Amino acid sequence: MTTAVAEPVTADARSQKLLDRLRSIVGEAGLLVEREELLVYECDGYTVEKKCPDVVVFPANTDQVVAIVRACNEFDVPFVPRGAGTSLAGGCLPIGGGVMISLTRMKRILEVNLRDRYAIVEPGLVNVHLTQHLKGTGYHYAPDPSSQGACTIGGNFATNSGGPHTLKYGVTVNHVLGAEVVLPDGSVAMLGGTVEDVPGYDLAGLFVGSEGTLGICTKIIVRLTRDPAAYRTMLGVFETVGDATRAISEIIGAGIVPAALEMMDQGIVSAVEQAFHFGFPLDAGAVLLIEVDGLEVAVDEEAQRIIALCNQSGAREVRQANTPKERMLLWKCRKQAFGAIGRLSPSYCTQDGVVPRTKLPEILEFITACGQRHGLRIVNVFHAGDGNIHPILLFDERDADQVRRVLLASDEILGKCIDMGGSVTGEHGIGVEKISFMDKLFAPEDLIVMKSIRDCFNPTGRCSPGKMLPTSAGCGNEHLPKVKPGRRAAM
Amino acid sequence: MSATEFTPATQLELSRFVAENAQTHRQTLCPVGGRTALHFGFSAPPPGVHIVMSELNRIVDYPARDMTITVEAGLRIDALQATLAKERQRLPVDIAQAERATLGGALATNTSGPRRFGHSTFRDYVIGLSAVDADGRLFKAGGRVVKNVAGYDLCKLLVGSRGTLAVVTQVTLKLRPLPETSAQLWLTFDWFRTIEDRLAGLLTSQTRPVAIEVLNPAAAALIATSARCDLPANAPVLCIGVEGSKRDVEWQLQMLSQELTTGGLQESRQIRDHDADRIWEALTEFQTCADDPLTFEANLRPSQCMAFAERATELGVAVQVHAGNGQVIGQLLEESATIDQTVSILNELGTVARSAGGNLVVLHCDSTWKSRMPMCGTPEPSWVLMKQLKSKLDPQGLLNPGRFVDAAP
Repeated sequence: MTTAVAEPVTADARSQKLLDRLRSIVGEAGLLVEREELLVYECDGYTVEKKCPDVVVFPANTDQVVAIVRACNEFDVPFVPRGAGTSLAGGCLPIGGGVMISLTRMKRILEVNLRDRYAIVEPGLVNVHLTQHLKGTGYHYAPDPSSQGACTIGGNFATNSGGPHTLKYGVTVNHVLGAEVVLPDGSVAMLGGTVEDVPGYDLAGLFVGSEGTLGICTKIIVRLTRDPAAYRTMLGVFETVGDATRAISEIIGAGIVPAALEMMDQGIVSAVEQAFHFGFPLDAGAVLLIEVDGLEVAVDEEAQRIIALCNQSGAREVRQANTPKERMLLWKCRKQAFGAIGRLSPSYCTQDGVVPRTKLPEILEFITACGQRHGLRIVNVFHAGDGNIHPILLFDERDADQVRRVLLASDEILGKCIDMGGSVTGEHGIGVEKISFMDKLFAPEDLIVMKSIRDCFNPTGRCSPGKMLPTSAGCGNEHLPKVKPGRRAAM
Repeated sequence: MSATEFTPATQLELSRFVAENAQTHRQTLCPVGGRTALHFGFSAPPPGVHIVMSELNRIVDYPARDMTITVEAGLRIDALQATLAKERQRLPVDIAQAERATLGGALATNTSGPRRFGHSTFRDYVIGLSAVDADGRLFKAGGRVVKNVAGYDLCKLLVGSRGTLAVVTQVTLKLRPLPETSAQLWLTFDWFRTIEDRLAGLLTSQTRPVAIEVLNPAAAALIATSARCDLPANAPVLCIGVEGSKRDVEWQLQMLSQELTTGGLQESRQIRDHDADRIWEALTEFQTCADDPLTFEANLRPSQCMAFAERATELGVAVQVHAGNGQVIGQLLEESATIDQTVSILNELGTVARSAGGNLVVLHCDSTWKSRMPMCGTPEPSWVLMKQLKSKLDPQGLLNPGRFVDAAP
């Protein structure tokens, strides 16, 4: 088995010859080289580590992506694809500099086929634009990350994005039928297709979530999902986080699969209330945002069961959203919760751990204790039904000691998730942020197999170097040292 | 040419055996579950060692309230489902020959059935697994939580890989609640073209069926007989399945009956309770009625299925269509069909499938016919990548060689 790939390549990406070549591919308007123009691209939603690419190119079609990738190979420089840059794990950090391939100009909806329930889109298409385009057809694109107003479907493909409604409908990979990809050597491959069960290995499934380390997707075939006939959206108000998490456990344990089951604790609720004035009770320990969907005849029964389970778990009250407008406002509060955190603290750091759903009470107690131990305030807003926690550590990044404590607490929380049989990322990805956790989550043997898969498609390591897998399989010590956590936009 | 057998009692024992084999004897290894799909692929299992998985059948961890289960891959499907049913849960994938098939085998062949329309296939339920690669390395991927994006999703890669990349030893599944009840609506129509109109209409139905099946008369008769149900089978059948609470199911049956009572409808039956259970079973088992000379599966876009079914019917094939998803399962009926006639029929249907952007693969046929049949469909450009991946993960070609796309010309 070959070793030592994905070392950052250090050839000069700013050589005049390469720039001339790139210009000849994408034109003057499709290329950025000035330092001040490149600053925007020095990081994504993970702002801890920064590195400017040497050049950013904006291809308009697959042929241009191919030509760019071939040029990078010829000139021996690394390249990294980028969507909207909303990644929270440094997925688009251009380690080693090189050429950043921004796919935001490839944003067309190429085909919508309702009879066969698929759409073919370019990777730069903003997630919500597809669903808006489908409005009125009775179909939608199910994955709905909270950043869906900005993030691209190509980026969702690369990180296997989730969102609140993935509890019932699944994450991105569950909705991808196929993709056209430009492989790291510049060849083009069609994986999967518009029909299900294409003979052979499920390479489309493998490529989803590979964080740009296996190639660059240039077309994505996505499954369209029938709109639910009816919704019931509820807000369960609880005295304590413990009561709320017990209710979650009861609901899932009773065999109910809500469309979404989200928790916000008091800290988040007060910030959200100040921002959106929904009328949340400010003295409640936690609220649950619960949505069931399905047939009109079925949703009321399911909603009643949920209300009963909430009441059994000590809910103070369970409110129902009575109008579509109320429902939209509730979801706006949830999806923009992170935007409201600025009211609580100058900086914050969001984690993305997962635990078995019945372990939620335990991990939340741990998080509270962890915050107390490190003298930090931690608030929580997360996808409770999936066991996908997003503790938000509040701090002031001007205070070096707070920063140090935030990093310690983050590591302890993620370590605890692993101990509890969970994962260090439910939907944000490994990127560079969590690369040091890979050898804690996986054994050396697991990483060797993953590495041989990367080597198969990306043998030179020029495509997205330094991402996802520790550079020397099993060591995990090659990531950049964490300097400070960032203030992060989030899920 | 007979194979020897090795029956590991633990994952580690298997790992050691495969590691030693990779270094010394270099015999080809064929993982064997319930022996329900050994006829798949280009050739019969190669001589060498059959790795019999039957003793790796333990339930490792079943935290029912998390709605996940971790089991060893040799566990039989019926035993798995019985365990889950005690907690009112299930793996909602229809798997034929459940009393023989193992989870590992079902996963490796990515088997599915009528309810894939409502519940999808294995790729959406396997959240973690352990496997032994060709060097004997015991590795894992994914995890035991329902949401997890750490590392490459090797679960997707191994689902449907037919034992050619690694021997799956342990699997963690995401589960779903058992519905209170289920039912089907069995409708006969004058012709496939009428059914296509109804299928297009179902796309915006107020109901949410879990299965949309179309059967030609030959298949309908086989399925009705096998389910011991007296159902009309003298015309093409549209069979729609629903699940849920009793109230929910009754409402859907009423609504569907209203929505579909239009021109071309001949007879209509509602199937409930034990009859419905037997219909599910018959619809699932249709693909394995192996007395016939050949069974194929065409994968098409749903909109292309009725035209394909119509032509296949004219050619004397018994046809079941998973019409919501686009799979057409066909059985060549004539006991006397010759290899030349079969080749000619498959050539024609394969051309129809490909011209509609699809493919046609043979699930089962007489082993002496295989060299002339499209056992894995028609070569696609991406097969080159698949071969590269196979030789990367199994450079000595020890795992089930010669049977899947890795072996295609």
